Amino acid sequence: MSSKKRPTEPRALTSSTAERLAAIVEAAEQAASKVIDDAEEQARRELGEASARADRIVAERLRELADELDPPSSPRRENHLRPVEPEAEPAPGPRSTSAGARLLATQMAVSGSSREEIEQRLRSGFDIEDTSEILDAILGPEEE
Amino acid sequence: MNLTDLQALEERYLMRTYKRAPVEFVRGEGSLLWDAEGKEYLDFLAGISVCSVGHCNPEVVEAVREQAGRLMHTSNLFYTEPMVRLAERLSESSLGGRVFFANSGTEANECAIKIARKRAHRRGIEAPEIVSFERDFHGRTYGSLSATPALAANPDLAPMLPGFRSVPFDDATALREAVGESTAAVLIEPIQGEAGVYPLGEESLLAAREACDAAGALLIFDEIQTGMGRTGSLWAYEQTPVRPDVLTSAKALGGGMPIGACVTSPEAGEVLEPGDHGSTFAGGPVACAAALAVLEIVDDPGLLRRVRDLGATLREDLLALNGVREVRGRGLMTGVGLEEGIDAAVIGVDLLERGLIVNVPEPGTLRLLPPLTVDPDQIDRAVASIGATLLSYAAQ
Repeated sequence: MSSKKRPTEPRALTSSTAERLAAIVEAAEQAASKVIDDAEEQARRELGEASARADRIVAERLRELADELDPPSSPRRENHLRPVEPEAEPAPGPRSTSAGARLLATQMAVSGSSREEIEQRLRSGFDIEDTSEILDAILGPEEE
Repeated sequence: MNLTDLQALEERYLMRTYKRAPVEFVRGEGSLLWDAEGKEYLDFLAGISVCSVGHCNPEVVEAVREQAGRLMHTSNLFYTEPMVRLAERLSESSLGGRVFFANSGTEANECAIKIARKRAHRRGIEAPEIVSFERDFHGRTYGSLSATPALAANPDLAPMLPGFRSVPFDDATALREAVGESTAAVLIEPIQGEAGVYPLGEESLLAAREACDAAGALLIFDEIQTGMGRTGSLWAYEQTPVRPDVLTSAKALGGGMPIGACVTSPEAGEVLEPGDHGSTFAGGPVACAAALAVLEIVDDPGLLRRVRDLGATLREDLLALNGVREVRGRGLMTGVGLEEGIDAAVIGVDLLERGLIVNVPEPGTLRLLPPLTVDPDQIDRAVASIGATLLSYAAQ
């Protein structure tokens, strides 16, 4: 081993160590950053999935409410298979209007309309002054 | 090849079924189109409510590109995943029953008509009838055409199919009287589109539902134009006091790819059986992949809320313009009723020259159907253009 090279070795080692250390630190930082990014991404994904699940549960419940208001395919409709006498047809009474208003409110809620939007439609379409009963039944009581 | 060359070839080779505007479009992005000379247009027609997620939406383009590179067609004799997934998504987002895919809106309505007739025959009705409103537009194939009173009256195309009748638009009493023991279905647009954007009133909607329930008939909503978020909910019926038994969709469903769908309630979905109906191309993987990408964008409460908000702003701003008598519609489906004496066709031509694309469905009405992804400043630009055009018209 040449003595001439010795003095240079510590410098080379120092430089190399520093570079390696820097590389290790950088790699560690990158790994940490990736771990944080992955954790954040996973949290976002899980939050999104949880939010979507919550939305689906709410939508499903609201659809069930809509089904209760207007069964889409129940045998009950088959019981209505009878000739219709136009003159015997009842005029649209308060009951059908009320059911219609509830279905409107439920469907609008399912489709993401706000309480205010539903309230406005109930007022304009059905002349319902006090909409709170319908809205509370579907959306829950308004928060203070 | 320039526009003159295209017009010469059209004159020689294409059937004269359309009066085209003298513009050749070569590129589109979002709410904008560019013609062959590089002129920019703000598109407030969106290919008649087809390009609802904007022209060349990157997600739709990528879905089409990916699927087209993998598998384009197999026929309905085999399974493909996009078709089945799309059927699930359409059913779960609406009536909960089954789906028949078609290639267009009129074909989707043909399916609905078949369901109604077959179901009626099962109930012992020998000559089933389908009731619609006057000025409804359901399509141009013979079944749908027969349910489109204005076009069915064309004697050159006679005879129409039997078993269709119409009542005056939004006349709840006439509708109740028309629905009886021989009624197979009431087929209606919740908001008439081609007629000029006329929403059906709550009373008529309730009357239709009640009359159908009493007669055992199906209530069919033609949501070809109103569906897929156009009115601010995924389906227009969601903002009405009724729920149909069958709904039909097309136009925006494919984001530019041709596709239609007939979606049913669980009961109505049991009517058709093998051999009753079919289509070679319908439900193809490319069109279905496009539709899934469109639904991914449109079936979003945030986007739908934005459609309702922007629509309300648009209607309010339009109503403030001189020359505008009334503004109709819901969400971003807007009919602008012009004051007496203003020729909407002239306004439409002037707007096109100014770089705004609108439609003139009837002499006194402009129809605006911008992409649902339109920017608020583009709404402002459109309103400003319409205002300027109406002012210059008044000054003449």
